Amino acid sequence: MIELIGLKKSFGTKHVTKDLSLKINTGEFLAIIGRSGEGKSVLLKQIIGLIEPDSGKIIINGMDLMSLKGKGREKIFKECGYVFQFAALLDSITIFENIALYHLEHGISAKEIKPLVIEKIKSVGLSTDVLDKHPDELSGGMKKRVGLARTLMMTPKILIYDEPTTGLDPITTRLIHELMLETHKKFNTTTIVISHDVEVFKYATHVAMLHEGKIIYKGETHSIWEEQNPYIYQFIRGLAEGPIQNAT
Amino acid sequence: MVLRLAHSLGSIVFELCKRLGLVGMFLYESLVALCTTKLKLEKTFQAMHFIGVSSLNVVALIGITGGAVLALQSYIGLHRFGAEQFIGPVIFLSMTREFGPVFTAIMVIGRAGSAITAEIGTMRITEQIDALQTLCLDTRQFLIVPRIVAGTLIMPFLSIWCTLFGVLAGYITSVFILNINSEVYLESIRTNAQLSDITSGLAKSAVFGFLLTLISTYKGFYTRGGAKGVGLATTESVVSANVTIFIANYILTSLMFS
Repeated sequence: MIELIGLKKSFGTKHVTKDLSLKINTGEFLAIIGRSGEGKSVLLKQIIGLIEPDSGKIIINGMDLMSLKGKGREKIFKECGYVFQFAALLDSITIFENIALYHLEHGISAKEIKPLVIEKIKSVGLSTDVLDKHPDELSGGMKKRVGLARTLMMTPKILIYDEPTTGLDPITTRLIHELMLETHKKFNTTTIVISHDVEVFKYATHVAMLHEGKIIYKGETHSIWEEQNPYIYQFIRGLAEGPIQNAT
Repeated sequence: MVLRLAHSLGSIVFELCKRLGLVGMFLYESLVALCTTKLKLEKTFQAMHFIGVSSLNVVALIGITGGAVLALQSYIGLHRFGAEQFIGPVIFLSMTREFGPVFTAIMVIGRAGSAITAEIGTMRITEQIDALQTLCLDTRQFLIVPRIVAGTLIMPFLSIWCTLFGVLAGYITSVFILNINSEVYLESIRTNAQLSDITSGLAKSAVFGFLLTLISTYKGFYTRGGAKGVGLATTESVVSANVTIFIANYILTSLMFS
């Protein structure tokens, strides 16, 4: 279980997360929605330790992340996999080396790790032909799949996706959503995905909405459509009229 | 007026302390990574190849032009005192103690230092460094330590290379253009040169190598702000490294002189 309690994070005078609290149960497929610039990525990066919150608690499986250091923190982070918005593949090395990076850096030979890499690349729906290519030879959708395969190599218990369908066509978007659901079920992970695409509701079990640095809604996916909160009502229906200002 | 001046001065001092503190922390964390984790030998050799082997041509060219100019300029001064026979030691000492290390450092900053900053900076803005962190890989050991170790180790060799071509160009200029006797040129070097001339130059080069790779990696690692940020970081890296090298050169020369 992941529990965020009173998280605060500011960049200069801009307060991104303001006393944010959220509980995510084990096995949930949670979609966090919110407008662009609301701090969704910042929120996830705090969970994964890429950004330190100014105050508050992040509790993962009963362990307070803020009180842990060194190996203790590393142990927690090893259980979390993060799939970046634009995959963040290392562009100077091949796809095989990208996927096997953690193992190769820990002294495991390419020959030893190859079967596992092949298994993971197939599990994300790619052929083994891509393994010898470099990231710049792949399409956006393929890169995201490789990013997921690299994350799966760590066998994470928590999978976090940062806007995985940004910039993809509707067909590839659907394929990525289906792949996320399939991975969630197959590897029995807790999945968190941030998106401003309500299509993700078809796959998520729960939804949380981030607005002005706080979670203003957390519940089961189907019930959000009955929600009368004007902010949520406007956002999920994509209405121009409503309390959310500057809705251009 | 006084308050405003004090405020401006305070801001500058504060910013300077902040930057020095950040570099200090960066250096400390890199040293911790060097001491607590296994050095990536393959990456270190790759960095040595990039910083060193790939710079051989340009460093040789700088050595040749530097040595030739030094011969011509020294001859003018020495000729006034009738001391042309000392042109050999002047060129040798200048190249080993001063110009070899400094010329090499300036060229390596421009060629390899800027590329290191741009590469690491691009990795930063495209979240590649974040990706390494999420894979629980030590980014200092992966990106920084091999480059600093490589720079520190390879720079003395590059400096020798530069000095070699400088002294050779000085010899050719002196003997074939300025009509200095070949035997006199070589014998005066043999008589006046000391081992400490060479070792002090090598020590300087190692320090320069350490400083330039430290600054290049630091500027790249803390790049912010997209493509413009990478460009800015690269410029800052080159300027900071050059200024630091000249300051360090004075300090080291003073220490060695005393």
